[in-house]
Amino acid sequence: MTFLKPWRYLLLPLLAVAAVAAFSACGDDDSGATKTPSAAADEAAPADQQKVVMHSVEPQYFDPQRSNFEQDIAIERMLFRGLYQLEATADGGVKAVPAMAAADPTVSADGLTFTVKLKAGLKWSDGQVLTAQHFVDGVTRGCDATVASPYAYLLQSEDQGGILGLKGCDEAQAAKTPAEQTAANAALGIKATDATTVTVTTLTPKLALTFVQIFSLWVTFPARLDLITKFADKWTDPGNIAVNGPYTLTAFTPKDNVVLKPNPNWALSPKPKLQQLTIKFIDDTETAFRQYQTGELDQARIPEPEVVTAKADPKLSKELLVVGSARITAIEMQMNNEVLSKFNVRLALSRAIDRDTLVKVVYDDVNLAAEYWMVKGLPGFQGRDKFKSVIGFDATAAKKALADAGYPNGQGFPTLRFTIIDCVTCKAMAEFLQKNWKDILGININIEIVDSKTRSQRFNTKNFDLFPGGWQLDYPDPENPLVGLFNTGGGNNKYECSDPAIDKAMADAAKATTVDAHIKAYQAVEDLVVTKLCGIAPIFQGALPYLVNPKLGGVKANGTIDAGQPGNWCAECWFVKKQ
Amino acid sequence: MTGYVIRRLLWIIPVLWAVATITFFLMHAVPGGPFDQDKQLPQVIIDNLNRRYHLDQPLWQQYVNYLWDISHGDLGLSFRGDRDVSDLIGRGFFVTAQLGMLAFLFAVVIGVGLGVIAALNQNGPGDYAGVFFATIGASVPNFVAATFLIILFAIELPWFKIAGWGGPGSFSDIFHSSEYDLKKMVLPVISLGLLPAAYIARVTRASMLEVLRQDYIRTAKSKGLAEYVVILRHTVKNAMIPVLTILGPIFAFLVTGSFIIETAFAIPGVGRAFIDAVRIRDYAMIMGSTLFFALIVAVMNLLVDILYGAVDPRIRYG
Amino acid sequence: MQAEEAAASIAPPLEEFSGRQRGLWSDAFRRLIRNRLAMIALIVLTTVAVLVYVGGTTDLVQRYHPYQDQDYNALQEGPSIDHFFGTDNLGRDNWSRVLAGIRISLQIGVGTQLVVLLIGLAIGSAAALGGKLTDNLLMRFTDITYAFPDLLFIILMRAVLVGRDWPLVSNDRIQIILAISLVSWTTLARLVRGQMLSLQERDYVTAARAMGAPQWRIVLVHMLPNTLGPVIVAVTFGIPLAIFAEAALGFIGFGLRPPTASLGRLVADGYNFIQINQWVVIFPAAAVALLMLCFTFLGDGLRDALDPRTR
Repeated sequence: MTFLKPWRYLLLPLLAVAAVAAFSACGDDDSGATKTPSAAADEAAPADQQKVVMHSVEPQYFDPQRSNFEQDIAIERMLFRGLYQLEATADGGVKAVPAMAAADPTVSADGLTFTVKLKAGLKWSDGQVLTAQHFVDGVTRGCDATVASPYAYLLQSEDQGGILGLKGCDEAQAAKTPAEQTAANAALGIKATDATTVTVTTLTPKLALTFVQIFSLWVTFPARLDLITKFADKWTDPGNIAVNGPYTLTAFTPKDNVVLKPNPNWALSPKPKLQQLTIKFIDDTETAFRQYQTGELDQARIPEPEVVTAKADPKLSKELLVVGSARITAIEMQMNNEVLSKFNVRLALSRAIDRDTLVKVVYDDVNLAAEYWMVKGLPGFQGRDKFKSVIGFDATAAKKALADAGYPNGQGFPTLRFTIIDCVTCKAMAEFLQKNWKDILGININIEIVDSKTRSQRFNTKNFDLFPGGWQLDYPDPENPLVGLFNTGGGNNKYECSDPAIDKAMADAAKATTVDAHIKAYQAVEDLVVTKLCGIAPIFQGALPYLVNPKLGGVKANGTIDAGQPGNWCAECWFVKKQ
Repeated sequence: MTGYVIRRLLWIIPVLWAVATITFFLMHAVPGGPFDQDKQLPQVIIDNLNRRYHLDQPLWQQYVNYLWDISHGDLGLSFRGDRDVSDLIGRGFFVTAQLGMLAFLFAVVIGVGLGVIAALNQNGPGDYAGVFFATIGASVPNFVAATFLIILFAIELPWFKIAGWGGPGSFSDIFHSSEYDLKKMVLPVISLGLLPAAYIARVTRASMLEVLRQDYIRTAKSKGLAEYVVILRHTVKNAMIPVLTILGPIFAFLVTGSFIIETAFAIPGVGRAFIDAVRIRDYAMIMGSTLFFALIVAVMNLLVDILYGAVDPRIRYG
Repeated sequence: MQAEEAAASIAPPLEEFSGRQRGLWSDAFRRLIRNRLAMIALIVLTTVAVLVYVGGTTDLVQRYHPYQDQDYNALQEGPSIDHFFGTDNLGRDNWSRVLAGIRISLQIGVGTQLVVLLIGLAIGSAAALGGKLTDNLLMRFTDITYAFPDLLFIILMRAVLVGRDWPLVSNDRIQIILAISLVSWTTLARLVRGQMLSLQERDYVTAARAMGAPQWRIVLVHMLPNTLGPVIVAVTFGIPLAIFAEAALGFIGFGLRPPTASLGRLVADGYNFIQINQWVVIFPAAAVALLMLCFTFLGDGLRDALDPRTR
């Protein structure tokens, strides 16, 4: 900065006038900068100080089987727990460990039946016993068409693009009349063989790994049908709700905030030390950033451009936390388009993107430049080295590829559409690419800004040319970012990637019987997809910048799958440090 | 005049119906539906969701059902959490109205004050300062004003708070003193009221100047009344007449919510709720908020027309 | 939007109008010239206009291309000799961006007001002069348009028009102009109607009618010029409002296609970087303020010129 920050200019006269007012207004100095960390920094503060205010984007529901969005699921993990739960491993990976279940499931020899025993003495927050039937009810709701769970696919068969292949789930989803629904629900392959045993039957053999991963996800959380029947859509309201997780919901103001307090009947450890957890709903991360700075939020997700501000501030730079995300961002290219169907064109576009500079200039190095598709932290992650020389930045190679495709220096190349929503970094990325593609390749692109729903619709109806998109992991398995995305006719294959070699590799991978073979087979699929740029050109793996008040302790990294607040897989681990 | 008022009130019903109809069909014609997302849901789930919310019915049938429902006071459920639209609008409006009315008061006090001072000091420093302020106030978009205010007076100088609204969230909380936090109210009110204050200042100044030149004012002065009294009693009162006519639309604007300010301070008001609803295609909420705004606007227009007719006798309403 | 209507309506129409058009206009012109502030404003506006239009074509003035020149080693800098107004988040030169922004904002501001003027005059006069039923219908139509969720209409319009090759409306600037003007003409229409309604009762109009002058002549020669005063003021206030409306549209995602950026857009985008580099906001905001000041003084001057009573 060559000039003094104008803030100071404006402040000087104001301070002169307002000296008296300043004296009367002070007393809010809770910046914490003057407090030196004590030797016992990780001791918990007394109970009356155990209150934190966290930031979240506004959720839709607190009902696990009806939830679609990450912010809903993050809060539901604080209220409920499934048979298993996901935990970060030391190497940054993710593992599903028993939660409500006593141990890993017993798998039958044919791989079709899984038996899980519950821990002893489990209770709901209202005192009722937590039984196997509650888990059956939860999964039944997940498959029930009238509940319309957006994540029912996790339980459905592979024919329907599903994962677990729970017996009878497809029929329950397809039921059209109440009679059909009741029959289908009764016929589901999940039963409570006794009060503490759950038995699950699948259509095709599954690995235990897959089973525990699916049963750590929100769609399998236990449900209290008695409360849902009694209160209908209001069953999640404070006073009505019953939970089996570390916290319970005590107050809710729509569009504003929700207040959680510890659940005395929480069975696992650690038991929450926080006495009050307020979650404020703020959709605009710039607003959240400012509220963090005034101390009205103890944690905030901040916009990427503000990382520069945070790093430049001596106090904030210590409170900055960048959390890896399980999202890979890529330029998705519609292969139906005449020019994009040519491999050399796609290669030219990919090789003309200087990913490292892009990540530095637009995202302040928060994101990780990537030429890979399977994200870091996922078992089977292969890294940049394998793909950099094939599709990575190389201006000369890019020019050559475009010339090989028949458009030397961009002559005769049509103007393609680049469809984005209106966000700061989206625009900056688009303008960066626009300039660089023009400089290196000599081509023009039209940046189309549309609103979010219109953009989704364009994508889903395949009405696009270049679309910055990608994939966010649902669960930590290498099949998740590949199945349905790159096989011909796949449900999420909106860019019309259709390659017999890829199809064969995917079919082979589905047959793998051991975890190792499973991972290797999907790595082979990734190799083909990335080197052929079949519909996608990866550019970076996401990361999320947060500011976290140093008074907050017990923040355990989640691992690959991000959520709204850092460490919220173990919200029960949070506490306020002794000052 | 009474006949006119009654007729205008009756006209509100067809106006609302027209707004409802156009909005309904426009809303469904816009690309992108509530369940569209980048990671597309499987078709069977989309079908189930559509069935749950009756979006699979033919459009005309949904329209008729909707009209039937609103004529019984049922505005439907929001897609976000299946909450009652009327409840959401009620809560949101309660907060927005507080913000709007306070901003209105701020705008009137500052605007009229500055306008009067500027007019009394015409072509002097008071005048130029007033015009300058009015122009700055009117030429800075309110999100920029809000940002500068937040950074200066909440972050750099911890005088005020910026997280949400510092007033009661619903009727039942009006008398709970713990619900009030004045430190949270100041910055949003100023940010919202700055632009209207600037306009009111300009209008007040212009109309004051005009009235100051009137013969009857000169007469009053020549009669020897103390200048102070002259000004207070005659000028300001007469100058206020034209100012009153702009207060109507300003009030409507403030009270129906500036979503920009509500976003910048995370205030759960009805302006932000409406924009969010459009963004996520929350049909029932869009319809409910639109009808609500249309009602307020129609009533405001009526009040303004009545005022206009009352203060300018040259206009005749038959 | 209605604030400017009422603000403009403060100026009552001309009283002692003799009916000789030439007399009014040359009279007004002379008065305008003598108004120092208005003349300064006019000169500033002309200078700015020349600067931005010339600047857009020669590198001498703008020095860098507004979006093609991205210097990644000079991100978010403050003002310097190299970059008069500093640089932005992609290393683009702010001076050239602001010049381009002024050009675009002027186009949008003036273009919008022209459309608003046409529609507002047409509907306002028709309502005032067409009899009670027409008045009622048109005013209720105005009510509906005013109460209507502009945003939905704009989303739809953009969705329908974006990407098509239709002759005039594919230009995104024209789309913005149409979008803003089609939802903001109501103010001017009500203003024109109000003016004309009160003019109807004036003595000289009644006299002209009694003398047998045809309706169109009365409107054109007697009434229209007298409504122009407040209308012109409303239009000059409307230009900066249109500039903001475009910025607000950009704020919610319907602005101009990048990388073109109007002043409003520059402010809306820069607002995200305020704590890193305030200059990105200050310069375009100052440009808006300058334009606003000039249009305001010019508008005031025009109003004073057309109405001798406010001397």
